[in-house]
Amino acid sequence: MKLARKFALLAGLSLLPACSTIGAGDYGYSSYALVEVRPRAVGDGSLTVTPPRPYNRHRSILWQDVGDVEDWTQNGPYLDGISFVSGLKSGRYLVRQSKRADQQVPKFRSDMTPPEIAAMLESLYRVRGGAVEFRTLSLQPRPFLGTNGFQLDYEHLDSDELWRKGRAVGAVIDGQLYLILFDAARSHYYATILPDFEAIVASARLRP
Amino acid sequence: MCRCCPGLNRRSLLAGGAAAAAALTTGRAEARILPKDMVPLIGPGFRPVDQDEQGIWQLMDRAEEEIAGSNLLITDPRLTLYLKEIIGRVGGSAAKDFRIYLAHIPDFNAMMFPTGFAVVFSGLLLRMRNEAQLAGVIAHESGHFLRRHQIRSWRDQRRKTDIFSIAAMAAGVGGAGAGVYLGDYVQLAQLGTLLSLFQYSREMEAEADAMGARLIAEAGYEPTEMSAIWQQLIGEETASARYRRKHRRRGSLFDTHPSEPARMADLKIDAEEVRQTGHTYEVGKERYLATIAGIRPTLLDDQVKLNDPGASQYLIETLAQDGWNGLLRYYEGEVWRLRNRRGDDVRAGQSYAAAVGYPDAPADAWRWHGISLMKAGRGAEAKSAFARYLTMKPDAADAAWVRQMIG
Repeated sequence: MKLARKFALLAGLSLLPACSTIGAGDYGYSSYALVEVRPRAVGDGSLTVTPPRPYNRHRSILWQDVGDVEDWTQNGPYLDGISFVSGLKSGRYLVRQSKRADQQVPKFRSDMTPPEIAAMLESLYRVRGGAVEFRTLSLQPRPFLGTNGFQLDYEHLDSDELWRKGRAVGAVIDGQLYLILFDAARSHYYATILPDFEAIVASARLRP
Repeated sequence: MCRCCPGLNRRSLLAGGAAAAAALTTGRAEARILPKDMVPLIGPGFRPVDQDEQGIWQLMDRAEEEIAGSNLLITDPRLTLYLKEIIGRVGGSAAKDFRIYLAHIPDFNAMMFPTGFAVVFSGLLLRMRNEAQLAGVIAHESGHFLRRHQIRSWRDQRRKTDIFSIAAMAAGVGGAGAGVYLGDYVQLAQLGTLLSLFQYSREMEAEADAMGARLIAEAGYEPTEMSAIWQQLIGEETASARYRRKHRRRGSLFDTHPSEPARMADLKIDAEEVRQTGHTYEVGKERYLATIAGIRPTLLDDQVKLNDPGASQYLIETLAQDGWNGLLRYYEGEVWRLRNRRGDDVRAGQSYAAAVGYPDAPADAWRWHGISLMKAGRGAEAKSAFARYLTMKPDAADAAWVRQMIG
């Protein structure tokens, strides 16, 4: 799960080609890989999606993200990003974090309701994204992967003074979290990439 | 208070520890600085005459322009006027020259820039219990300006090393090179980087403390409240660290050197010295609570959702010393729910149930109370709690989901 904010500040100082993940002190090398327009298994491979146009996969080399999560971007993670959570198990986290960090992203539990998952995502943005304001715009039922899922719409003001807007579509299936999350600069980028996100969500299939 | 005050900000502890270590190893005199000796070194309408200081002022004027236009600022006129009035009251000889900005950042921090503008973080307002405490922080920061600490510190550093220059400051290189924590808050952190070059010595901190105590007493505030601020900060840091099973000052000199308790003790003596018989001193609790009442839910929300359970719980419990209410019980539940350890769901449920028993319970308390009941298999009660939530907040963002739960 990659969020743009914190490392954007540090990238300029560290002179790394890019940083792999957010969070204080978590720097690492990363690379981009092409995602072609055809069905593609994401995350741990249990979720297959088809992008409507080529995408860039933002891949971590130093293994700092959890294997169940994969990140794509069109214009760079500072401006837009689509993340896939493919079957996160109960008791696991969306991001790697030190057990001793003062502020922590809450762990996922299989009995979480959509408001609890929404709150977990809000804390993700506040703790790891540096969001100082977070507004839930809408939380509503939405079918996803053939089951009763939910859609969360939100926007947040980050510490770089940029408003970003996001949509997450997800469901808990057999106790595991499946989620596709889209987050982009609120002006221009959100509206531009949203159709891609919707096409990707519509194309999502679970591995039989 | 200011990020560059050694030890005061929980995230610049190592930098502070290093400063303290330097002070100890050089055998700096530890004599207490007396409030009566703390006279302002500048008068009203001060403008710099030396070239180096003029350069700093030019840079800081640009920084202030950026800050003044930031969308991270809280511009609520009641709050900003309140802060302005306080700095006008405790700002000593520069009272009319100071500017003060309130940034929406959930951190215990305030900082004074070398040209006389201060930035207070919203997290400070959550932690202060009365106006005298807030005035104490602002007076401490004013003290740095009135005693010309920034320029003294700058010149001192320039003497020691020539790696710093105004150009380096502008590039933000100095702070990174010095290994100072830049903060999570990008725009302000860049300015914090500039400010980190003005690291105050322990002596300067002691001066600002003594000056602060004197300023608030002269303004009619209860001077003992200065040391209560320290108590709050130390308590919160300890609680946060204990929860994460680490020492408050792991790896820093503060483990063995009780500098903060010593500083707290000094402030208590200062308070007695500046107090004059026959005068009355106010804490301004009612006025403070009334002024921040509107923003307190937001401040609590900002803090609790960072999921730092030790610190949040400590804060809620200290605020509850003024009496529990629905808002505090609700956020107590939120602390447990986000902590999410075994049994925390039950604890959270109990807090939500307690919260909705108070007339001031926020609508969200009813929603979470409903979810907690639903998960406990008490469907009928859950539906009634959800219904109450929708009555209180008919246009709730999650109304569609809640209505589905009611069925």
